[in-house]
Amino acid sequence: MGIITVLWEKWVEFRRDFYKITMAAMISPLMYLLIFGFGIQTTSHGEPYLMFLIPGIVAMSTMTGSFGAVAQNMSVQRLYEKALDQVMVSPTPLWQFITGQILGGALRGMYAGIVILLLTLPVQNGLIFNGWSFLIMFLNGMVFSTIALVLSFLSKSYADTPRYNAYIITPMSFLCNTFFSTDQMPGVFRRIVGALPLSQASGMIRAISHGEDPGTMGVIVLLLYLAVFSLIAMIYIYRKKTL
Amino acid sequence: MIEIQGLTKKFGTFTAVDHVDLTIRDGEFFGLLGPNGAGKTTTISMLSTVLLPTEGRILLDGNVLDRRAHAQKRRLSVITQEYSMRQDMTMEEVMEYQGRLYFMKRRQIREKTEELLDFTGLLEYRRRTVRHLSGGMKRKLMICRALMTEPDILLLDEPTAGMDALSRRQTWTLLRRLQNRGMTVLLTTHYMEEAQTLCERVALMDRGRINAVAPPRELIDQLGRFAIDEVTDEKTVSRFFHDREEAIHCLREAGPGAGMRETTLEDVFLERLGRRLEKK
Repeated sequence: MGIITVLWEKWVEFRRDFYKITMAAMISPLMYLLIFGFGIQTTSHGEPYLMFLIPGIVAMSTMTGSFGAVAQNMSVQRLYEKALDQVMVSPTPLWQFITGQILGGALRGMYAGIVILLLTLPVQNGLIFNGWSFLIMFLNGMVFSTIALVLSFLSKSYADTPRYNAYIITPMSFLCNTFFSTDQMPGVFRRIVGALPLSQASGMIRAISHGEDPGTMGVIVLLLYLAVFSLIAMIYIYRKKTL
Repeated sequence: MIEIQGLTKKFGTFTAVDHVDLTIRDGEFFGLLGPNGAGKTTTISMLSTVLLPTEGRILLDGNVLDRRAHAQKRRLSVITQEYSMRQDMTMEEVMEYQGRLYFMKRRQIREKTEELLDFTGLLEYRRRTVRHLSGGMKRKLMICRALMTEPDILLLDEPTAGMDALSRRQTWTLLRRLQNRGMTVLLTTHYMEEAQTLCERVALMDRGRINAVAPPRELIDQLGRFAIDEVTDEKTVSRFFHDREEAIHCLREAGPGAGMRETTLEDVFLERLGRRLEKK
């Protein structure tokens, strides 16, 4: 029930800012597709680079969509509007609030990913996006919503959200299997970057899009991230003496 | 009954609330008074579980009130000092969100929203977003939101701050009506007249500690019911008397600028806490 309340709140926000949210979901990914996919025309593994790029951009969009929806919203609610107090006082169990935020953020990520899928529909040239792709997009969104929740709880000022974007989201966007394969990275660096959630999500969505088996390791890694960050978020909201 | 036992809140080395013990009876209208920084808001924040105490505990009818105490929290509503609302929601949405957070039925939410917004004169603005409301309207909306869930216990942190005189009187009438229905009210306020008019008992709080707990009348009687103000070029000095005749005698002996009046809770506050009350 509390989860539905949070989803309702997210829906109110989505309905009101529909155009802004949609434009924000489109602009950066479209720029990347135009510049790297069409502008600098090249090939990768014997196929047009665009075929490599589209699945990565879809995964990246779910990440930025989810992270942005939760990090910004929660930071504003906690630090500026103090609207989180309304939730803390209420009888809504806080685990339901956290779960609602994670699901709501994941849905916003899914929306961002679907927008890109629709925009690239004419140039997908046989790329496969099926139920598994959407499941991984959703899971990736959940992971980044949870990370965003934890970071928004740690924020001390509004300026922290753009900092998290600069320190975490932007480097992941460029390094984690979006524009080039992590296999091309040197030794230890490859293993570290390869273990990051976006690398896993991109790799799996790309594998599915090319008709290959994505394996289960990526799902396990994403679930591990989800479990760890959810636990931190729960501990924070229940135990932190000064929210 | 609310029992506050040894409640302490520290922020680093600063102690905002220092071993506070209080008991607030069912249906009581209780005031928590103190200068800025006395620890009133911190106390309310701990009662609403937004802050967790460093030491001590809060009991609601014998049950510990913490973030997991959903049944206890269902009975509470809070009006915070700051406008703790989503700024981008309309009034209707703020009310619906509150109703949903308290698991109210859709129909009940609609009816209560209409009733409360109508009562406070906000109904015609119900589709206006919070960010476009005046300070007084936001304050009224927060009162509506708190009353939406028909709580047993209402925590009010400076509820009439920023309201015009008429709105403040309307709010007092509303609060009295609620208390007559048996609601327990804990109020913090800077307005001594408000506390004296509404509260059955008040606690004077200073630097995180409780200085005195008594009915306003009793505190006034302890100081002396009659006050003589002697105005000099530099300041106004007030003297207090238990006996009317004694006060009149003093007035006769005082200079031409002197005046006699009844002692107020504000006098008690200033005398006991020795600080100037912030003029609002």
